[in-house]
Amino acid sequence: MFLKFFYTLKEVGIPVSPTSFLTLQKALHQGIINSLDEFYTCARSILVKSEKYFDLYDQVFAHHFEGVPLPEDGGFEMDEIARGMLDEWLKNPKQVADALGMDEEKLKKMSPEELIEYFKKRLKDQDGRHDGGGKWIGTGGYSPVGHSGHHPGGMRVGGESRNKSAVKVANERRYKDYSTKGPLTQARIGEALKRLRNLIPAGPRDMINIDETIYETMRNAGEIELVFDRALKDRLKIILAIDNGGWSMDPYIQVVQTLFDYARSQFKEVKTYFFHNTIYDCLWEDTARYKKPKNIMEFSRIDPDTRLIVLGDASMAPYELMASDGSIHISERSGRPSLEQLKFLADTFSHAVWLNPVQESMWGYTHTIMAISKIFPMFELSLDGLEKAVEKLMVKN
Amino acid sequence: MESNNANEFNNAKKYVLDNELASIVNISMKLEMPLLLKGEPGTGKTMLAHAIAETLAMPLIVLNVKSSMKLVEALYQYDTLTRLNDSRFGDSSRDVSNIDDYIKMGKIGQAFCADKRTVLLIDEIDKADTDFQDDMLDVLDQMQFDIIETDKTVKAIHRPVIIITSNAKKDLSDPFLGRCNFHHIAFPDPKMMRKIIRVHFEDIDEKLAENAIDSFYSLREIDAIEKKPATRELINWIRALNADPDFRAKDLVKGKMPFLGVLFKKSPDYERAQNLTSRRKLF
Repeated sequence: MFLKFFYTLKEVGIPVSPTSFLTLQKALHQGIINSLDEFYTCARSILVKSEKYFDLYDQVFAHHFEGVPLPEDGGFEMDEIARGMLDEWLKNPKQVADALGMDEEKLKKMSPEELIEYFKKRLKDQDGRHDGGGKWIGTGGYSPVGHSGHHPGGMRVGGESRNKSAVKVANERRYKDYSTKGPLTQARIGEALKRLRNLIPAGPRDMINIDETIYETMRNAGEIELVFDRALKDRLKIILAIDNGGWSMDPYIQVVQTLFDYARSQFKEVKTYFFHNTIYDCLWEDTARYKKPKNIMEFSRIDPDTRLIVLGDASMAPYELMASDGSIHISERSGRPSLEQLKFLADTFSHAVWLNPVQESMWGYTHTIMAISKIFPMFELSLDGLEKAVEKLMVKN
Repeated sequence: MESNNANEFNNAKKYVLDNELASIVNISMKLEMPLLLKGEPGTGKTMLAHAIAETLAMPLIVLNVKSSMKLVEALYQYDTLTRLNDSRFGDSSRDVSNIDDYIKMGKIGQAFCADKRTVLLIDEIDKADTDFQDDMLDVLDQMQFDIIETDKTVKAIHRPVIIITSNAKKDLSDPFLGRCNFHHIAFPDPKMMRKIIRVHFEDIDEKLAENAIDSFYSLREIDAIEKKPATRELINWIRALNADPDFRAKDLVKGKMPFLGVLFKKSPDYERAQNLTSRRKLF
């Protein structure tokens, strides 16, 4: 029973194990599960072991039992955007209609489902050509606005009642905030900090544990048995290099800076530098990249055990990275291409990572991202990526 | 049928239960699997175990996991020091040649040896290392463990109802997760919160509760807060507001928020909240 449901869960990437599926079968046979609502909660608690996947589970559940279409290839995002557009449409039909170049009257006659379908189609058409998008397309965050006081057709969208059916609950996608994909936001600082806590070094086992030694000696009938613990090492030094050039980076700079600000006490030292697009001769200590330059060569004098974390989208014109006079600023043209400088930094600091707010699945399309990721281990600026980056920074060489 | 009902978990006095959670607790009990609870600190994970023990009228045994803990400590302890002392001075009723006299049961051991079914709460499992977690699950799976010193096996007389909580500081290992049922306690919505407050403060001023909950949710909205206030903080806050004779419910609407320290425990968070609320007063 429910084999297909099980395999769909597996396909979308939820780690479900056959054993847990058997447990579910056992539960079904014992007659503990009597309704779809119960099946929804019980199957989730048995099969899905992390709230990270609750959102995906909800979507699969809605698909399987209600026939809500699973978003096609990478369409999860598209769905969001279309829904965001619907919300926007409810608030301000005229603006949306104008932006799409559509007749408001015509849109008014559509049902919400038709509207979503229509928006999605439009979005697909626009893929690639439409840069940045109108500001109403989605990133402003989608709130469950719901009641359509403003909808010209007077339709209720996502109405609320307390006694929800499982399918409805699943459709609400309450657990969206818990999924660890997607870029870091201020709201997730707490979670991100927990990932950062692992940035603590451990020394060799050379401290004697007296309690444990006494206990073991007793067990050994009085024969001395020494027990050693790991000594705590000095705290880490961190260099944060941030690309604050283009507007594309703006939303993430604040997040990362707050993040390291909070974590400051955990480290011995956190130094922040800025650059534009990529690193040439200098990094700057001031955000305007004007007053306090620091030459890259000087970094060779810094403790090589310092962890270097670079934050940037690594997206630029190839010549900016490869050419010996690639820098936009004339004063920076020492004749070494940026690529060389990056290699120099990666050689100087054996523990260095590059955090990139661009989605990992898109990296292959940008030449410079690929080039830089060969020099620095690159990770997506998401909770998952941060976790992997911390792991990488703590590897013993 | 009646006896069956007695074994089902419905509701407790001090705990507001949603149906989802109730059915998960029941199914875990019937499948005899441990239930792993995750959620923000202060959303009532530990309270749930207390509530289950109360409704089912079972004794509750709490194992507070510590970071340095070894599994043996949770099972039993061999008190070598006392034995050495007794063998030297021999002024106790214990028999030095009988090691059993020096074995003390740990929390898991107590749950196994109890003469009636118990609720075993293993609190904050994520503090311990993964070895501890995996080994413990072995013991809980087989419902028995060996005492190495005396070569005896302790078997569970009654299978305890096992609740495990985690604050998600570390990820738990896959084999561990595989053997538990999982539930994540989401943060209660305002409606739920009103119910919770009413359970905790029976004769609270309607207006005060309403305003406090409203301001609480707006304070939770503040960006870049490391530790958001949770249910526990709200309850303490209302207790503090209630105790203050000068306080009037109207103040909250005006943006005057006393005792912010009860809600925000980290100093940068506190300063941030303080700044934002005092700024709002100006407008």
